[in-house]
Amino acid sequence: MKAFHTFCVVLLVFGSVSEAKFDDFEDEEDIVEYDDNDFAEFEDVMEDSVTESPQRVIITEDDEDETTVELEGQDENQEGDFEDADTQEGDTESEPYDDEEFEGYEDKPDTSSSKNKDPITIVDVPAHLQNSWESYYLEILMVTGLLAYIMNYIIGKNKNSRLAQAWFNTHRELLESNFTLVGDDGTNKEATSTGKLNQENEHIYNLWCSGRVCCEGMLIQLRFLKRQDLLNVLARMMRPVSDQVQIKVTMNDEDMDTYVFAVGTRKALVRLQKEMQDLSEFCSDKPKSGAKYGLPDSLAILSEMGEVTDGMMDTKMVHFLTHYADKIESVHFSDQFSGPKIMQEEGQPLKLPDTKRTLLFTFNGNTYPKDMEALLPLMNMVIYSIDKAKKFRLNREGKQKADKNRARVEENFLKLTHVQRQEAAQSRREEKKRAEKERIMNEEDPEKQRRLEEAALRREQKKLEKKQMKMKQIKVKAM
Amino acid sequence: MSTNNMSDPRRPNKVLRYKPPPSECNPALDDPTPDYMNLLGMIFSMCGLMLKLKWCAWVAVYCSFISFANSRSSEDTKQMMSSFILTPLSCLRLSISAVVMSYLQNPQPMTPPW
Repeated sequence: MKAFHTFCVVLLVFGSVSEAKFDDFEDEEDIVEYDDNDFAEFEDVMEDSVTESPQRVIITEDDEDETTVELEGQDENQEGDFEDADTQEGDTESEPYDDEEFEGYEDKPDTSSSKNKDPITIVDVPAHLQNSWESYYLEILMVTGLLAYIMNYIIGKNKNSRLAQAWFNTHRELLESNFTLVGDDGTNKEATSTGKLNQENEHIYNLWCSGRVCCEGMLIQLRFLKRQDLLNVLARMMRPVSDQVQIKVTMNDEDMDTYVFAVGTRKALVRLQKEMQDLSEFCSDKPKSGAKYGLPDSLAILSEMGEVTDGMMDTKMVHFLTHYADKIESVHFSDQFSGPKIMQEEGQPLKLPDTKRTLLFTFNGNTYPKDMEALLPLMNMVIYSIDKAKKFRLNREGKQKADKNRARVEENFLKLTHVQRQEAAQSRREEKKRAEKERIMNEEDPEKQRRLEEAALRREQKKLEKKQMKMKQIKVKAM
Repeated sequence: MSTNNMSDPRRPNKVLRYKPPPSECNPALDDPTPDYMNLLGMIFSMCGLMLKLKWCAWVAVYCSFISFANSRSSEDTKQMMSSFILTPLSCLRLSISAVVMSYLQNPQPMTPPW
């Protein structure tokens, strides 16, 4: 109700504001009528012209001659405008009459006309009466802006789609030779290759490939720039960003050993280390330079153990990384991959998130469709990495270290959530007790009731006994 | 075993279907632009309609266009996304009706808010 009242008040305020525009007209009509009363003899003539704009009345007070009333500017009044032309034309119309008559009265006509001039305020013609397109310039600007936005949307969408198609055409052969199923959107009943990209958005395209040794599947996501959004285009002029190709290979459990490893640009690694659950837990050191292995300075390495780095950085991999360093954003192999850290409000989640063995690659793309061939070697690197991950196995020491690390992480996690888990267990026990009690109450047969109660009592006694035994044992051990 | 290396690595019996990643948290994690623009568009169009401010209605149209261009999924049939898709289109309708109503009630050209 209050909102309704405030709306009424607001509407009234605006209504009165709009009415105020007409005040000027009313004032002038009042003043005209006031002047007319001075010359009340001529009221009849006055009434006819009250509806028109104020006129200058020149009255001769010569008793001998007939009194004539000149209503000047009557012809011009049909337009209803208060323009300067009125005052000029009023003066010229006095010429057809005898100048002699008005010799003594030059002042009076002047004063009477000046009296009539006072209330006339020269007002600019309001815009809506001008009837020209120029007054709507803001609207035209707005519509032009909208048209520009729509044009940019269409152009951006087309460019993104052309880039995606070019990428797919260059990589299709390689993918089809490596995977049985190339392209699947999950909706078909049978697993047949659709052979085309899955358009998720105007700037994101997906491709799912599956059916190969070592890996469960590979999801390729082409994340283009938002060329369809004009705001984004303008923002990108400030800071340059490039298209990205994100590849996620899910490995079979038996085909990858347990390690966490990442290579990439320093900036990307720092960001990943903060964001990714597994990197932050297992690779606690800062990204190290890869110069030892012959990598360019732009790339850095994050690794769980030195042995993993040694194993991963063989000649072929180093060759790939050095030659295409400008295209590589990050390469991340992990058996504990669970995605980015999840921020939960109620504290830690009660159990560790599911982990999958994955290889992740992020590459920077090209802006022209014809340059897509340059990305083909990167896909070769991906395939090579898949095979390599299958072949690479940690030696005994490495395996021990890795297992220790994982146990440590799990322990830490359990400690953190200990309190929560205790509470959860407590509440579960209470629920059970309550459910049992309810069952006992609901039993109509008194016999059964008694028996159930006795059973519950016996169980509780047993528990107490067990606890006492435990305490005794601990005491004996302590001694 | 050597033939396996030479022959293709494809394994038709090991094909897994594509499962769209669970999007309980993804829409919120990605880019909140379409949601913000949607909300802004709604607010501006209500302002424009109630207070009869033309520039509000125009800004609302722009917001709904931006929200539409940035919208996350292009599939209308996806069940999960239907609630996210309907709102950008409804925002567009609302903002266009705000502009049209403002001009019907008051055909004067727009005065800039400054």
